[in-house]
Amino acid sequence: MVRLGFSDKFMMVSIYVFLTVLSFSALYPFWNAMVVSFNTGVDTSMGGVTFWPRAFTLENYEIVFNDSRLLNGFFISFSRTIVGTATAILMTAILAYGMTKKDLIGRNQYMVFFIITMYFGGGLIPTFLLVRSLGLMNSFWVFIIPGLISVWNMIIFRTFFKSLPNGLEESAQIDGCTNWGIFFRIILPLSGPVIATLALFTAVNHWNDWFLPSIYITNEKLLPIQTMLRQILNANIVTDQVAQLDSASQARMEAMRTVTSKSLTMATMMVVTLPIIMVYPFVQKYFVKGVLVGSLKE
Amino acid sequence: MSQVTTKQHHATSLQQQLKRKPNLFKRFFKQWDIQLMVWPGILLIFTFAYIPMYGVLTSFMDYNIFTGGNIWANPWVGWKHFEMFFNAPEFYTVMRNTIVISLLKFFIGFPAPIILALMLNEIRHMVFKRVVQTITYLPHFLSWVIVAGLAGSLLSTDNGSINILLSSIGAINEPINFLSIPKYFWTILITTNVWKEIGFGSIVYLAAIAGVDQHMYEAADIDGASKFKQIYLITLPTIMPVVVIFMILSIGNLLSAGFEDILLLATNPVLRPISDVIDTYVYRVGLSNYRYSYATAVGLFKAVISIGLLTMANYIARRSGNSLW
Amino acid sequence: MKKVRKPMLLIVLAIFALASVLAGCGNGSNGGNNETKPTSTNNSQAANNTVEEPASDVWELGSEALEFSMYGHYDWYDVPAWESTVAGKWIKENKLVNIIPVSAGGKAEAKLSTMIASNELPDVIWGERGVDVNRLYEAGQLVAFDEYLDKYPNLKKWMGPDLNLLRHPDGKIYQFPNWYTGQPSGTSGYVINKKIYEELGSPKLETTDDLYSYLTAVKAKYGDTIIPFEPHRAEDMQGLGVLYTAFGENVSYSYLNQNIRAVPDGDKLTSIFTNDVFREAQKYIAKLYRERLITQDAFTQTIDQVEEKVMQGRVAVFAGSSPTTIASQAHNEMVKTDPDAGYFMIWPIHKEGLDKNKIYPGSYTSLGWNVSVITKAAEDPEKIFAFLDWYTGPEGQSLLFFGPEGKNWNGFDEDGHPIFTGDYDAEEVAKLQKDHDPIMWNGNTGYIDPAKMKYQATLPAVEQDWNARYQSEITWKTSSNATEFINMIPQPDSELGIIKQSVDDIFLEAYAKSVMAASDEEVDKILDKAEADAQKVGYSQLLEFRTERWQENKKLLARE
Repeated sequence: MVRLGFSDKFMMVSIYVFLTVLSFSALYPFWNAMVVSFNTGVDTSMGGVTFWPRAFTLENYEIVFNDSRLLNGFFISFSRTIVGTATAILMTAILAYGMTKKDLIGRNQYMVFFIITMYFGGGLIPTFLLVRSLGLMNSFWVFIIPGLISVWNMIIFRTFFKSLPNGLEESAQIDGCTNWGIFFRIILPLSGPVIATLALFTAVNHWNDWFLPSIYITNEKLLPIQTMLRQILNANIVTDQVAQLDSASQARMEAMRTVTSKSLTMATMMVVTLPIIMVYPFVQKYFVKGVLVGSLKE
Repeated sequence: MSQVTTKQHHATSLQQQLKRKPNLFKRFFKQWDIQLMVWPGILLIFTFAYIPMYGVLTSFMDYNIFTGGNIWANPWVGWKHFEMFFNAPEFYTVMRNTIVISLLKFFIGFPAPIILALMLNEIRHMVFKRVVQTITYLPHFLSWVIVAGLAGSLLSTDNGSINILLSSIGAINEPINFLSIPKYFWTILITTNVWKEIGFGSIVYLAAIAGVDQHMYEAADIDGASKFKQIYLITLPTIMPVVVIFMILSIGNLLSAGFEDILLLATNPVLRPISDVIDTYVYRVGLSNYRYSYATAVGLFKAVISIGLLTMANYIARRSGNSLW
Repeated sequence: MKKVRKPMLLIVLAIFALASVLAGCGNGSNGGNNETKPTSTNNSQAANNTVEEPASDVWELGSEALEFSMYGHYDWYDVPAWESTVAGKWIKENKLVNIIPVSAGGKAEAKLSTMIASNELPDVIWGERGVDVNRLYEAGQLVAFDEYLDKYPNLKKWMGPDLNLLRHPDGKIYQFPNWYTGQPSGTSGYVINKKIYEELGSPKLETTDDLYSYLTAVKAKYGDTIIPFEPHRAEDMQGLGVLYTAFGENVSYSYLNQNIRAVPDGDKLTSIFTNDVFREAQKYIAKLYRERLITQDAFTQTIDQVEEKVMQGRVAVFAGSSPTTIASQAHNEMVKTDPDAGYFMIWPIHKEGLDKNKIYPGSYTSLGWNVSVITKAAEDPEKIFAFLDWYTGPEGQSLLFFGPEGKNWNGFDEDGHPIFTGDYDAEEVAKLQKDHDPIMWNGNTGYIDPAKMKYQATLPAVEQDWNARYQSEITWKTSSNATEFINMIPQPDSELGIIKQSVDDIFLEAYAKSVMAASDEEVDKILDKAEADAQKVGYSQLLEFRTERWQENKKLLARE
């Protein structure tokens, strides 16, 4: 048994303390949001609701779920996230693996080609017009196709793939395996952690994206919940518009906006955010390293 | 004798030259299987990123959105928007703020998730580790509206927790108006940013650490190395490739110092001289006023500088063996 | 590697060029195409209609089905599903009108831009007057109402001659106003916490000196637990802007707003930075702020934070351009537990020596808050106008404010106002009004305010709605008419627009700084510097432009 030295003990204690404090501070806002969402709007506006609801109610959730389009919105959000993530990860990983091949002709040119797109872009309107001309307006595929390749993810995949020992590939090739075969049978299975990570990132992006549907989708049946509920979530954000009005108009505008209480906003946020938060605990097991050790006889 | 060898050498190199050209196409098709891996991606990126790129040209025009995609119907004004940006009295302040805030975010916000990942790696207690991992990544999902609201409550002069704490230990007599005093702003900004992203950011590094050979730790334990040394000699070098890549990308993003966070935390206009960065400036002056061409021009300026920074960072990184290209 | 760079660069440029060419070709034709119509107009049903009516005939609402799309140009607003509201349902069933919402989805600017760029506008757009409407006007995308005004007379009748202010440079009317009115409206002023006031002996609260003494007394007695003066969100002026009006007769709160930022002096609009009244006000406010009589969070707090304080009863004086929204809610909650607590409003504070009847903490314009416009995408603009006109008339307004005829009201009296029945249910009415707020696209203040007051007048003072009571007693009487100051915002991408932006930046910074100044001299210094800075960026040009517009407006208004 190895004994921990003093400096090690000190470090471990500090780590535990720090992580505990950090966790509490990270948890509190969410806990508070949940508490507020189960509190009546009027009572919340009086302030002071912190660790437990003071005036318990389900009214906020009733309002949110009262919207008949909500179920459909959830369906769209889920479909988009699952399909979008699976396809994007697969496509990007394949691309990344190809980019690891040192003998790939044009490799550096391709890389520059990709990297430029991370900084230069045409802007909202040209992209919008392009998507429109491709017939993707009001189509489920507008969520999937433009996002298939992420240069950022490709770079990360490539970095990970490169860190796998060359010996693996070589021995597979000697056994007569094709490049595609190597990818599917060896590289992918060993890339659990990075696939899990990037799948998580991609899923979060897909789930949280409300902007794309707002400009490309007018058909209510295709709206994800993020976009549908955006107006509740935006309700208390003050903009410059207030400052240009005479006071009577300011009053009118404010009257309309205070229809949404903080409790309702929080309930909406919970509904919209909880599903995706739940994903991480489930993928955590993939962060165990792959079955790498001992596979090579050096 | 030397004459013969040079002639032979010359003859062979000529032969090689003749063989090289046709070889390129042949070699290309010979590796069709790996080219097939990359070409769908290239075509997709070409379609969705390069075709719309003509929009960049609107920075040299006075773009009227009613012309839609027919951009050549707009008058060409050359460098006008760029000049307006460079000549704006706020230019130096905005640039300085952008760089300072970016560097602060980099020097503090970049190592933070790495350190968190390293810490988590030391935890043997699996349940604690999993729970902490899950909880610390929650703030990433809070919108900045909520985070800024929380910060506002905490730092409020009226019943704000920080002020209450400080006065209860006797450090101050009157509550401090943190959000209205310039000297505190950068600290508040960086702290909230780090708090919000540290958990989510650590995920990548955790994945990288998962690739470290556990046997090496055991061997190091036997050799009597302290945990500190183990981290320094084993873990860090193994995740170095990932760290370097992210570092290069971060340096490339130097001119994007933040937007929503600054917009929501720097509500008091007296903070503007130290809080205005390129993106908030362009938002206020450009986009809020439908000056699309102006906004596009500044965006183009940012992109060019960013590519330059990226190339530089990549060049330096190449020497460590890890680079983007 | 180095050898590869040049050809690599060439390849990249070639790709870029190729893409531009491809894009230019492809989208050139696209931009020219008048693409598909937006999701609107029920073609089959409209075609089913019988004879084409001759142009002079008035189309009767409800004679046939009408469907059109509606878009609200705000980040925080979505047109609700038409049938989800009582009024919407009733209108669909009885007047055969169906409205299809087009959602901004949270980013109105982007949404409108993409709709414009792809030439797929919704039939009706509801949003702010000014920049966006002007853009659409300049692109010829709006339908003029002039032909319809006489056929469908409600708007013309209830708005009166001020309708002319809505005309665009070509002389036509494209905008349908919302909350337009011929009489003062608004809810600005000072709300006082009853309990605290009584505990301090109910002192005289009329002049600025009174206010200062009162606030000092509050602080002395309650320390940090009570906020003496709560100005709401000072970033938007609000309570501090209200205090400004205390220092001059006929000084309007609006002078501080984006669209004016100047003070009338005779015939001209002059700089606000050099204005004596403004300076005096800032010095007073700075003094209050320095002595912690104004909450230090004034410039950084969120609406939630303000609401909390007021709801908890922790403010002594609460001022703003519409403190009543929060105050009435707070009052109603507070009296539930303690009937002696709550809030009340006082006549506006004024500087010693000024005529208290010439103090105006609030302002209003006869044009109201915002407008609806009908775009060229609409298939039946006349029918849509007919609907909007009906909506703003007695029938539509009564439906929106009091519910369908038969329950809370029945028939109209000689003023055209609804006659309330014995079944009038105040709670239901309050709920209805709240639910219908999001579809109040062309509120007729001139009609509905008196109607509401008629009901309130039948109740004893104690039972009267808090809002309604103080509106009629105080705020309406102290709201100045700012109609002559409309239309003074230059197009943002013009040179004047750029000047305005710079002046705005300078003003906002100077405003906050001067409030937080350490002494009177510093206030002067800050404002002097602001004036110099503003002049450098072209403030005088902006003032000239605004003076011109102001004089034009006055001429239009004088023309009866």
